[in-house]
Amino acid sequence: MFCSCSCGLFKKRYVLFFRAAVPLGSAVTHYKQYPPNTSKVYSYFECRERKTDPTKTRKVKYEKTVFYGLQYILHKYLKGKVVTPEKIQEAKEVYREHFQDDVFNEKGWNYILEKYNGHLPIEIKAVPEGSVIPRGNVLFTVESTDQECYWLTNWVETILVQIWYPITVATNSREQKKILAKYLMQTSGNLEGLEYKLHDFGYRGVSSQETAGIGASAHLVNFKGTDTVAGIGVIKKYYGTKDPVPGFSVPAAEHSTITAWGKDHEKDAFEHIIKQFPSVPVSIVSDSYDIYNACEKIWGEDLRTLVEKRSADAPLVVRPDSGNPLDTVLKVLEILGKKFPLIENSKGYKVLPPYIRVIQGDGVDINTLQEIVEGMKEHRWSIENIAFGSGGALLQKLTRDLLNCSFKCSYVVTNGLGVNVFKDPVADPNKRSKKGRLSLHRTQSGDYVTLEEGKGELEEYGVDLLHTVFLNGKIVKTYTFDEVRDNARLKDSEVEELLH
Amino acid sequence: MAAQDFNFLLATDSYKITHYKQYPPNVSKVYSYFECRHKKGAQFNEVVFFGLQYLLKRYIAGCVVTEEKIQEAKVFYQMHFKQKVFDEEGWRKLLERYDGRLPIRIKAVPEGRIIPRGNVLFTVENTDPDFYWLTNYIETMLVQMWYPITVATISREFKKILAKHLKATSGSLEGLEFKLHDFGYRGVSSQESAALGGAAHLVNFCSTDTVAGLLMAQRYYNCPMAGFSIPAAEHSTIISWGRNREKEAYEYLLDQFPTGPMAVVSDSYDIFKACKHIWGDKLKERVMERSEDSMLVIRPDSGDPTETLLGVIKILEECFTCSVNSVGYKVLPSYLRIIQGDGIDLCSVEKILKKLSDEGWSAENVFFGCGSALLQKINRDTLNCAFKCSYVETNGKGMDVYKQPVTDPSKGSKRGRLSLRRNSDGLIETVERGVGKPEEDMLVTVFENGTILQEYSLDEIRKNARLWEEDLSLSQHNQDHPTSLEIHQKHIMNGVH
Repeated sequence: MFCSCSCGLFKKRYVLFFRAAVPLGSAVTHYKQYPPNTSKVYSYFECRERKTDPTKTRKVKYEKTVFYGLQYILHKYLKGKVVTPEKIQEAKEVYREHFQDDVFNEKGWNYILEKYNGHLPIEIKAVPEGSVIPRGNVLFTVESTDQECYWLTNWVETILVQIWYPITVATNSREQKKILAKYLMQTSGNLEGLEYKLHDFGYRGVSSQETAGIGASAHLVNFKGTDTVAGIGVIKKYYGTKDPVPGFSVPAAEHSTITAWGKDHEKDAFEHIIKQFPSVPVSIVSDSYDIYNACEKIWGEDLRTLVEKRSADAPLVVRPDSGNPLDTVLKVLEILGKKFPLIENSKGYKVLPPYIRVIQGDGVDINTLQEIVEGMKEHRWSIENIAFGSGGALLQKLTRDLLNCSFKCSYVVTNGLGVNVFKDPVADPNKRSKKGRLSLHRTQSGDYVTLEEGKGELEEYGVDLLHTVFLNGKIVKTYTFDEVRDNARLKDSEVEELLH
Repeated sequence: MAAQDFNFLLATDSYKITHYKQYPPNVSKVYSYFECRHKKGAQFNEVVFFGLQYLLKRYIAGCVVTEEKIQEAKVFYQMHFKQKVFDEEGWRKLLERYDGRLPIRIKAVPEGRIIPRGNVLFTVENTDPDFYWLTNYIETMLVQMWYPITVATISREFKKILAKHLKATSGSLEGLEFKLHDFGYRGVSSQESAALGGAAHLVNFCSTDTVAGLLMAQRYYNCPMAGFSIPAAEHSTIISWGRNREKEAYEYLLDQFPTGPMAVVSDSYDIFKACKHIWGDKLKERVMERSEDSMLVIRPDSGDPTETLLGVIKILEECFTCSVNSVGYKVLPSYLRIIQGDGIDLCSVEKILKKLSDEGWSAENVFFGCGSALLQKINRDTLNCAFKCSYVETNGKGMDVYKQPVTDPSKGSKRGRLSLRRNSDGLIETVERGVGKPEEDMLVTVFENGTILQEYSLDEIRKNARLWEEDLSLSQHNQDHPTSLEIHQKHIMNGVH
């Protein structure tokens, strides 16, 4: 059954569909499945809690999540005129081939085209971007605003559920920030430079250019160091910052710029590169042949005077890139500590002189990060000495299951009557969904609570924290990246909690 | 060709902006290659090469540099590095000399080919000595090849498991290409990844709900319709009827889709009761009215996959009349099937099919849907994909270069100019140090100086990626034929100099 048809009709479809919020294949047929006379479908998104934990207890619990990334989806895929007569025709043909049957809701889409000039009659209410909310709470709701378009709510599910990705990257990145904050505070007494302690190395290790942009921008909610240039473009285009750029980098070597000199000329390579960048930090990968020899003989002896001449604003940053991360970091620090004069800081931890630092950018994930900083502390090394780079673990090694991101229908109107609906599979209580119309509130003690079944309207819990961000094709509320960063910042109370 | 608003100069790791200053003076050629490194004890021993054509067409071919893009990059990098480090002159020279086209040559294995780990898959070199820095500038973008390669490889590993069990429990491979349905659209990190991953799955199968993949295959691989789907319910279309009207919901669906297969998710409240009392009793006659062409496919979606599936099939056995096929395994009536689309990965699929066959059930009875395990739960380390420089020319002299970290021998890279050949034992191997014979080289020049020289259609790719006879035998796949595997591995580890 390999493709045998040779119609040439299909040329431009890819680009057009990219904008037209292409749904999951079978979602195309859902308009025919809802009860007759359904006039509204209301759904919501949450990062479900895992109440019954199976045998494996995760090291990191991810009790709260950072809400981020909706604005990107709204701008890029949902706002404005998303259908034209040509797109409807082409979709009809594609789906006819795909299903070998006429199931596409041509009538429904023509209605949207004619009545709304191709704008989507849905309303999306959401928590402000950057908000840090405990698991198990509603984060946004979606409902159709036109009786004829009840089916539209879940048509947009597939594209909206992809918000799991920026939420998960931002959340995982923030949890790492907490680890770094704790150990930095403990071993140095302050949080200086925290925002540059975890650098994004993930551009090559993600699944596409688009993912790189979204993921890198999510990391920049918490940090300022990145090599994934694409993220900055996303922030500029979809969020905006008051500063010219939200992320920074420094000159750095890669293996090819060392090995191209030949095995016997590693010192010449190091010397050349360090001289090319005299007045900014420069990171030099030093494990092409033997990291320990490079630290001891080349940096520690042959080029020592060059290194010592550098200022605190322009340190040499030695980069190991292989071997067990903790062992390698400790051994590198030990070797450098013998060759360069160490300082003891106010907390009693060892610090290398300001002109030399270390960056570990291999094998870093939230678990190894914890191991390394704990190991360094045990050996009396201040976290001031080190920065980290993370690639795959930061931007790719994540799935929708990490935070149990899910979109479910909770309320419908059929024959004029509102009905609270839900799923409750007997074999998995974790998969039970919320009922009715939802709202998010803060209790008097400051906790978050989701009210179900329309109870939020009773005003007992005060104002609903969900704001309308999208209505009938228009984005009606936006957040700047500065606001996002502010909402997601580590609060002093959080840092204090970490230290105890 | 490359999109207007995409700036090639901004599509790289920041640090690569600074590398033109770091290579040895008078370097005139940088030659690099890509491989899925071999690692001892690795789960997957061979890979499907796929996806390069997409990158070439979308981002690399044609005119990718303009004056506006140079200006945009210059302004950006000044702020990003807080200093002037961008090679404006170098890019302008490229713009003027080549009209914005890249003076690069890429040689690659034909798409769809199955290649053992540890072999060169493609090489990249500059064709003009002034642009030595370009080879590794493009690394970031090209290393993203890890993704379509890994999806296509994992998808094919699924196919091996399915084929093996299907052959053993039914005597044929009929319907194999529809056995694994792509459910991954919502669980992947972006629309673009959905399209690329979706297309990679379609190298091996024909069923998908990830529509973006179809469009990718259409536009970049010349296939008008690479995959198919069937009408299917989701929880909202069942629960919107209310808890007490699950039967009415199912009945409505049977009415709405009388012809053609249809899948109905049945676990909203209680999958076992739904099978026993609704499908197997109240709506039994309606189900039996359907034919093989309009089969009902029941979809569980929670609980332990193996236990649930077995529980469901046993209930259906009690309610409907099953038959025994030509190789002695039980089959549900042709109007009834099951699709398991929750918790499916390579491990659980093997476990489920084994359990089913142990209990006397044919693999014909089930379809599988897979989401994140197919399109998202993978990373560059799954197949150890890497891009490394192996050869340079400086002052007119060529030199084989490599890394060999003492802290990790598996990270050692290949040396010199490379080619790929089939040796006298029939095994594929990489020849290093430039001693390979051109007439034996399996690598094909696919891109040179801005132009794509060789294209592959999805049809050809599917042929190249088809399963071989030995993939269908019943012993544990990847542990098969230890001897030939060991030979493979020795060849790769020692290299051929």
